[in-house]
Amino acid sequence: MKKLLSAPALFAGAGIFLIVGLLLAFWWAPTDASSMGFSQKIFFYHAPIAETALVAFGVAFVAAIAYLRTQDLRWDRLGYVSIRLGLLFSVLVMLTGMIWGKAAWDTWWAWEPRLTTFLLVCFLYVAYWVLRSVVDEEQRRATYAAVFAIIAFIDVPITFFATRFLPEGLHPVVIQAGDSGMEGRMLTSFLISMLGMTLLLAALIRRDLEIEDLRDRVTDLKTSLGG
Amino acid sequence: MSGWTQFRAILRKDLVRELRTRDMLVSMILFVLLAMVIFHYAFSVKEGADLTYFTGGMLWVTFIFAMLLGLNRSFAQEKDEHCLDGLLLCPVDRVTIFLAKTAGNLVFLLIIQAVAVPVFTLFFIERNYAGDLLPFLVVLLLADVGICALGTLLATISMNTRSRDLLLPILFLPLIVPVLIAATGATTLIFAEGAGFGDLLARLLFLLGFDAVFLVAAWGTYDFAIGE
Amino acid sequence: MTIEEGVKYVAAAYAIILAVLVVYYFMSARRVSALRRDVEALEDEAKRRRAPAGEAGAE
Repeated sequence: MKKLLSAPALFAGAGIFLIVGLLLAFWWAPTDASSMGFSQKIFFYHAPIAETALVAFGVAFVAAIAYLRTQDLRWDRLGYVSIRLGLLFSVLVMLTGMIWGKAAWDTWWAWEPRLTTFLLVCFLYVAYWVLRSVVDEEQRRATYAAVFAIIAFIDVPITFFATRFLPEGLHPVVIQAGDSGMEGRMLTSFLISMLGMTLLLAALIRRDLEIEDLRDRVTDLKTSLGG
Repeated sequence: MSGWTQFRAILRKDLVRELRTRDMLVSMILFVLLAMVIFHYAFSVKEGADLTYFTGGMLWVTFIFAMLLGLNRSFAQEKDEHCLDGLLLCPVDRVTIFLAKTAGNLVFLLIIQAVAVPVFTLFFIERNYAGDLLPFLVVLLLADVGICALGTLLATISMNTRSRDLLLPILFLPLIVPVLIAATGATTLIFAEGAGFGDLLARLLFLLGFDAVFLVAAWGTYDFAIGE
Repeated sequence: MTIEEGVKYVAAAYAIILAVLVVYYFMSARRVSALRRDVEALEDEAKRRRAPAGEAGAE
């Protein structure tokens, strides 16, 4: 079981699911009937990356609570590793989202719920890093970071809700269908890609935690040798 | 000393201190009035431009930035005079401190708004919205609570870091965007077209929900934010 | 939108995803091996230093 959860195994699993998902998305799932046509295929990775980013921030949220209860710095480590990866994925969401926007609405930017929410998410979690960088003492840094990680994660769905349901045009618009519901082959391909992305996140978290552990070993060894 | 008595005591201390010297209040009021003048010049590029649909935004941006200034000032003062340390030595529930500080900040914000809104109306609003005054006040209060609660929590954290006042806006602004969306929408609606509780219901409920969620979140985490 | 245009957008999106993730993967893989080498080197050094000290102590 331990072997199964190691970084290389997770990468392999992720790779398999992602590649299969990709093949299915292109050759098995039907082309979208809407005006987007073929470009709708972007969605098969764009949405999983978005979900995975949110999962990463969720992991950080749980890690933050765990740290506040136990004061164990390993939870803090899991927290900032997850947030770093979550930020990476969020930037990817924005980039692919902008390409999607160009394909669907012929504009590189629109103040629509998904792009706006992820833009704010990026700002939020960059703020997390800024906060970490200005506190020198380890435990205090972890504490403040944990508090902010909790507050930030709570704010994400609230922000999405606000951008989606509080009409900027002041008056309630008939809510458009948005992305058409998926079923059958589209849904299966989509879910496989989702699983692949989540496995990829797990693999990356694993690998990053390893790196931090190794860094610690190196520092410890150096101090014991030097001192 | 019961929690309520402690709350009143801390609140009284903050209010009395500020009302005695009044420098923070005066500066914040001046800032808000100046911001309005600047907004006029920033937006009136076109001859006789109609800013009616910008009014909600202008108002809330001004209040949010004024609040950031005020929070920085009051917490910096506390830190320099070590008031907080003294307070922490007493057996006071941390959450009581949070509620008292939030209430104090809320009072300051309301005072500033009491001065700013009439002047703003004079400068920018054509419509007589006296009929919609009650909904407007409700919007004001609900948004204020969210701003003060979140602001107090974050200021407590940022004051203990290396970059103190520079950090607070970075932490605060992304988080307060939902409040901004709801409050500016509601306010502009009132100023531009007139709106009753019915039209504003969605936004009011949203603000109420936001306040509830973040008050609970702050209640859970303030112990840690205020440190040992 | 024609298929040709659609393909361009899709290809661009996937290319970006691939590029970022692959780069990150390889960067972290390199860091892991570099750190592992460091740990080994430092551990060897530590062993070496303990050996002569042991001999000196025995005398």
